[in-house]
Amino acid sequence: MARLTAWARLGRARWGRRARGVARRWRSSLQLQVLTSTLAIGLVALAVIGAYVSERTSAGLFEDRLGQVLEESARSTQQVQDQLSASPASTSPEVALLLEDVTTAQRNGGSGERDVFLLRAPGQNTSISVGATATDRSLVALVSRDLKQAVADGGQHWQSVAIPTADGRTQPGIVVGQQVDVPMAGTYQMFFLYSLQAEQERLDFLLGTLALAAVAVVALLGAMTWSVTRRTVDPVRRAAHVAERLADGHLSERMAVHGRDEMATLARTFNEMAESLQDQIHRMEELSTLQRRFVSDVSHELRTPLTTIRMAGELIHGARDDFEPSVKRSAELLATQLDRFEDLLADLLEISRFDAGAAVLDAEGRDLRDIVVQAVDNAVPLAVRRGSWLRVDLPDTRADADVDPRRVERILRNLLVNGVEHADGSPVEVTVGVDASAVAVTVRDHGVGMTAQEAEHVFDRFWRADPARARTTGGTGLGLAISLEDAHLHGGTLEAWGRPGHGACFRLTLPRRAGIRLTGSPLPLQPEPEALPAVDAGPRRSTDPVALPELPPMTGEIAIVSNPTDPVRTDVRLDDAGVPADVRGAL
Amino acid sequence: MKGRVLVVDDDTALAEMIGIVLRSEGFEPVFCEDGDEALGVFRATQPDLVLLDLMLPGKDGTEVCRQIRAESGVPIVMLTAKSDTVDVVLGLESGADDYISKPFKPKELVARVRARLRRSDEPAPEHLAIGDLTIDVPGHRVERAGRPISLTPLEFDLLVALARKPWQVFTREVLLERVWGYRHAADTRLVNVHVQRLRSKIETDPERPEIVVTVRGVGYKAGGGST
Repeated sequence: MARLTAWARLGRARWGRRARGVARRWRSSLQLQVLTSTLAIGLVALAVIGAYVSERTSAGLFEDRLGQVLEESARSTQQVQDQLSASPASTSPEVALLLEDVTTAQRNGGSGERDVFLLRAPGQNTSISVGATATDRSLVALVSRDLKQAVADGGQHWQSVAIPTADGRTQPGIVVGQQVDVPMAGTYQMFFLYSLQAEQERLDFLLGTLALAAVAVVALLGAMTWSVTRRTVDPVRRAAHVAERLADGHLSERMAVHGRDEMATLARTFNEMAESLQDQIHRMEELSTLQRRFVSDVSHELRTPLTTIRMAGELIHGARDDFEPSVKRSAELLATQLDRFEDLLADLLEISRFDAGAAVLDAEGRDLRDIVVQAVDNAVPLAVRRGSWLRVDLPDTRADADVDPRRVERILRNLLVNGVEHADGSPVEVTVGVDASAVAVTVRDHGVGMTAQEAEHVFDRFWRADPARARTTGGTGLGLAISLEDAHLHGGTLEAWGRPGHGACFRLTLPRRAGIRLTGSPLPLQPEPEALPAVDAGPRRSTDPVALPELPPMTGEIAIVSNPTDPVRTDVRLDDAGVPADVRGAL
Repeated sequence: MKGRVLVVDDDTALAEMIGIVLRSEGFEPVFCEDGDEALGVFRATQPDLVLLDLMLPGKDGTEVCRQIRAESGVPIVMLTAKSDTVDVVLGLESGADDYISKPFKPKELVARVRARLRRSDEPAPEHLAIGDLTIDVPGHRVERAGRPISLTPLEFDLLVALARKPWQVFTREVLLERVWGYRHAADTRLVNVHVQRLRSKIETDPERPEIVVTVRGVGYKAGGGST
């Protein structure tokens, strides 16, 4: 039983699948849709027409025959009445014989063979009583009581009946009855039974022919629809195929043009579109190549004179002690501004390389923690100058990802410089996170912060949070823009969060392997609400800004103690440059 | 030891400036402005080092580099305005030992020139063996089964650095410092390109190196056959 239900379920499932498959095919084929709808409409129309025609025909045939039958039986009845009235029969056997004769004679009296019954009307009380006569006694039962009653009330009456045949089937028929007076024996009812088999056969034949015609019409309709839709849909299919090829980058793919009809126009227009598309793309490619060449040429053309100026400047700068004070100061300004000019030029060239799409990712498998440690290491001198802590929180597990270390280092450098610059002496926290698909670094400062609108613009080129504020570390204004491009080149994201008075947070998220689409990040961008100090609390200062400038310029080294339960465990340890132990605590 | 430096650059202002800087450091600069004449001037002046601009009228810088390298192992330092990987690698592959990206500082230029000329200052009697090669360090000769192999001074230095400590794996950064004289980590492509060039000369099958072996993720070391 269970197995049976299982089979039934299986069958249902299979049927369901097949039905869904057919439905899918139907939805995906315009030709099939047009064909089925045309056929459906045609079939309905034919059915309605067929029903109407057969109804009208059968009614007409029946009415004709009925009229004929009624007229004929009335005539025959009159004839029988005349015959009976003229008969001299007076005894019961004579009357019986007479009735027998009359009945038999009337059998073939009409337009065709008919059965004749002569039945005694109910309620007779005469001296001579003769039973009923009939040409076929087995059919007498077809005369219903209702008909007999109606006939007894006088006049001619008829009724449709089904005549059983020898082979067990029935034929349509009509029984017509009327009263006759039999001498000596009283009133009798005379019934004629006509078969409508001939009419039925004519009707059947007609309907058969009609049905055949209908089938032919449906088949023809189907074939016509199929061929018409084929002629319409095929070019569309070809166009779709060619469009697909074009989309795949086969720009020289074209449609074949035949004749001058609408389809040819479609093909021609399509080809023109493809042509213009190809032209446009070629032009864009040329432009891009031109742009790249331009960048390369500008690079060369600008750098060569800059090199000369730079060398001359250095030479003059080197000899500045021989000059009078104003010339000496000029030489110094020249040297520092040349540095700035050089940085700006380098950044400009870098960003135009991104714009030209000429930037190439030189990826290799690296542990992000190493890159972060290196970058933080390099940022130590600046942090020391600005009096900021650098805290690093690394996960215990490796943070391996395919990255371009040069670009990631550059991003981190920019984020760290930016963070330290805006920290106002507050700690800068660097956190590394990793999950199955991505690695992430956040750089969080607790400085002046920024508004949400400002956070949207920090990656804009040459954007400044406060135009009135002077740039102190002399950034080019392109650092974060380049960082964003670097992140995008990895398929990663670089986002900023900030709140006035609560500092800012920058988050870099990179996919661990090429092709991974980022959906989230292992680290939150926005700090937990409770982690934010009360609104009125100003930026914290964890170091004494007065004590720090006395530290010697140094190259620092960072010892990282990683402990998930206590994220703030990292000291900045300085090398043998002579940093006292008590200062080490403050760093 | 001060040397003669051939400066091949079409920008006369830069060439003159480089000349001033080199002269102030005691070098003897010679100039050439055209790629087509470069080889002729090189033959005539026999410089100890060539500073070569990559973009030149006439013959291209890489082509000049290839021609000079074909007949001499003299150190060649490219001056390039392009920091694009392709250009740098193309220059290095055509035979240059090192490159300086414009704009550079005078100190940088002098340091590079010194580093490339430094080698001949320190002769030390020493014979090394690496794989089936024998190296005569002061004689600047490398032989395989008595047949000499011609290496440029830089390739020779690279091989010697590896052969002196066959048990040690050298990172690219360390090699840059030892061979090229860089204080700080710079472009490690220099090492990759030159290791390829060195292998093509000394390995029996450069596709399967046995003398200079790559240690994945770390760097290079002398092959295990150095017994």
